[in-house]
Amino acid sequence: MQQRVDTKPNKRKWLSRDFVRAMLAGHSALGLAFAALIYVVCLTGTVCVFLHELQRWEQPAGPIIARALTPDDIGAAVNAAYAQARADDAAHDMFIMGPGPAMQRLFVSYHDHDTGREGEWLANADGRLVARASAPWSEFLGSLHMNLHLPRTWGLFIVGLTGVALLASLISGLLSHPRIFKDAFYLRWGGSRRLQEADLHNRLGVWGLPFHVAVSLTGALLGLSTLIVGVLALAAFDGDSEAAFSAILGPRAGAEETAAPAPDVAAMMRHVLASKPDAQFSSLRIDHVGEAGQVVHLGMRTPGHLAMGNTYYFKGDGTPIGDGGLEEGGVGQQILGALQPVHFGWFGGYPIKLAYGILGLGLTVVTFTGVTIWLARRRDRGRPAPRWEKIWAAVGWGQPLGLAVSAIAALYAGEAMILGTYLATSAAALAAALAMPDARTVTLALRGLSAAAMITVSICHLVLWHGVSTDVMAIVVNAVVGMIGVLLAAPVFRRLLQGSKPEPATACEAS
Amino acid sequence: MVPLLVAAGVILFLGGVALLRWAWLGQRPANLPFVFAGWLAVTAACWVFSRVFGVEVGIAYALIVLALTAYLIIFLGREVRSPKAQKVRDVALEPEDRATSWTRAISKALLSIVLAGVAAIGVGVAFAVAMPLSSHDRIVIGGLLVPALWGCGMAWTLADSKLLRATMVLGSISLASYGIAFLPKVLP
Repeated sequence: MQQRVDTKPNKRKWLSRDFVRAMLAGHSALGLAFAALIYVVCLTGTVCVFLHELQRWEQPAGPIIARALTPDDIGAAVNAAYAQARADDAAHDMFIMGPGPAMQRLFVSYHDHDTGREGEWLANADGRLVARASAPWSEFLGSLHMNLHLPRTWGLFIVGLTGVALLASLISGLLSHPRIFKDAFYLRWGGSRRLQEADLHNRLGVWGLPFHVAVSLTGALLGLSTLIVGVLALAAFDGDSEAAFSAILGPRAGAEETAAPAPDVAAMMRHVLASKPDAQFSSLRIDHVGEAGQVVHLGMRTPGHLAMGNTYYFKGDGTPIGDGGLEEGGVGQQILGALQPVHFGWFGGYPIKLAYGILGLGLTVVTFTGVTIWLARRRDRGRPAPRWEKIWAAVGWGQPLGLAVSAIAALYAGEAMILGTYLATSAAALAAALAMPDARTVTLALRGLSAAAMITVSICHLVLWHGVSTDVMAIVVNAVVGMIGVLLAAPVFRRLLQGSKPEPATACEAS
Repeated sequence: MVPLLVAAGVILFLGGVALLRWAWLGQRPANLPFVFAGWLAVTAACWVFSRVFGVEVGIAYALIVLALTAYLIIFLGREVRSPKAQKVRDVALEPEDRATSWTRAISKALLSIVLAGVAAIGVGVAFAVAMPLSSHDRIVIGGLLVPALWGCGMAWTLADSKLLRATMVLGSISLASYGIAFLPKVLP
């Protein structure tokens, strides 16, 4: 972060000038090394807050659950899913995700890791499987955010490391800004673009700090969990990572493979409801379904907690074997329960999702302006880096363009084309940027193209699903995406109408 | 009743942050009572949220609303400047100039990514193995310590120009923490 020089003499500073300059140097190095990765993860993370809404947008004829589900509804869904899994020769592990503050659908999946067969369905409120789930762009987006489409272990590690780098940037940014409290409300708009962006960078960073720390810490932990648990397993579980995960996430299925009836989940729900009458179904996992060693993890949510639900463990015959304490257990258990909802903003319905969207966008802007400030500083000191200014403008504006064009590909060309389209668009944006005269032109061109692509996505979706869509969320998402496109286009048109007016000398061309 | 209380909480946040912003830019010590009143309003808003939603969820909501309120108040109170305005006091402090080379850059990267990571994982695992807490508390808090300490280590090693000092400190922490984590397993 940047700060202004305090010109008042004889005033004792809580951080020395040399310390601040050293921290600034570290902050710059860190930001530059990880900027592109942090930017991609922050931008995709911001969109991922609305992942469930995007899934509904992609499949707008799917069923919506508008009421709390009863034990009989869930029992029916389990039976239907088990029958379908057997028909698909994929009855091994089953997962059901119920409606809640974050989603309004009943999602059923099953897979057999030996055969590789799997199935994903949407069920209605009566537990009947209605349609195969199909949301390839949402899946692409989630995977881009969580593992960058790299091999899973490596991808998770790199994203986790990116979270650590973001956390380190927050720490060094805070320590390189001794006037952080004094300037807490200061925003200079207009004038020098560098100062405007420095103020924006610092104010967004400081007031959003609790959110930024929460998402970077939880994200880093989620990403690094395999590595941490791996070392922990070596130290305390004789190298058995499964046993280490089991100590945290609850019992795993036993080795007994003899056939057994599918578990009576409705009875298990009633057992929980007897002691927690206000609990609602949130999720269900059955490991080794239909075998004697099967184990059930039943998620039930009660109000007033960040966790998406507490997990109650049962043997296949219905015998309760404890719970995860995710809502009312020890500190560690409650933190464990809150990790995912706090990271994605999935604990408080639409108002919290919207707030997370704004704060996530703020963090994305903080990342982007961090590099533009560094580039502008170089320009101010007579050492401009026009090539890097163009590249950074292409990274910044190439991402919304890549995401929007890949969404068009998802609508028309199917799942196989999404990743390739995204990568090709991002690469083309970079290549085109290098051929353009300056960063300002790159920004104008890519911003305009991003706007056009977003408006096109909305129009294409409306045309494709006209007369078929039954979900109001499709209209909402189309309207929001189209509106973002218009908002992105507005400054482009304004600048084009104004002509090529020169920028102030200190302006950062890449902003 | 809940919507009314939430509205009251939001109004308290808006009023408190606006008062803080107004007092912040004033002269000390005359502005101190208003600073105090602003923080009091913010604290009262947090209390209202925790009463309505419970402490766990209410404080999370309150921190989110506080951030958004501050963004709004700062944006509404922005100072619009002419393109040429730039006072002397606005000149930014520059980062330290350092001679650098590829070997130094690679050493820094190894220190901040690899050695800081090794040390942070060591401390986290030592915590998870040795602390007298329940197994969940030990493992989860130990896990959370890893990214937090790794981040601190990364920030420090990249800021510190003395590579040997950072290497010694992180190396010592690694030795001690892995010793705590693995010695009980090795010793009879």
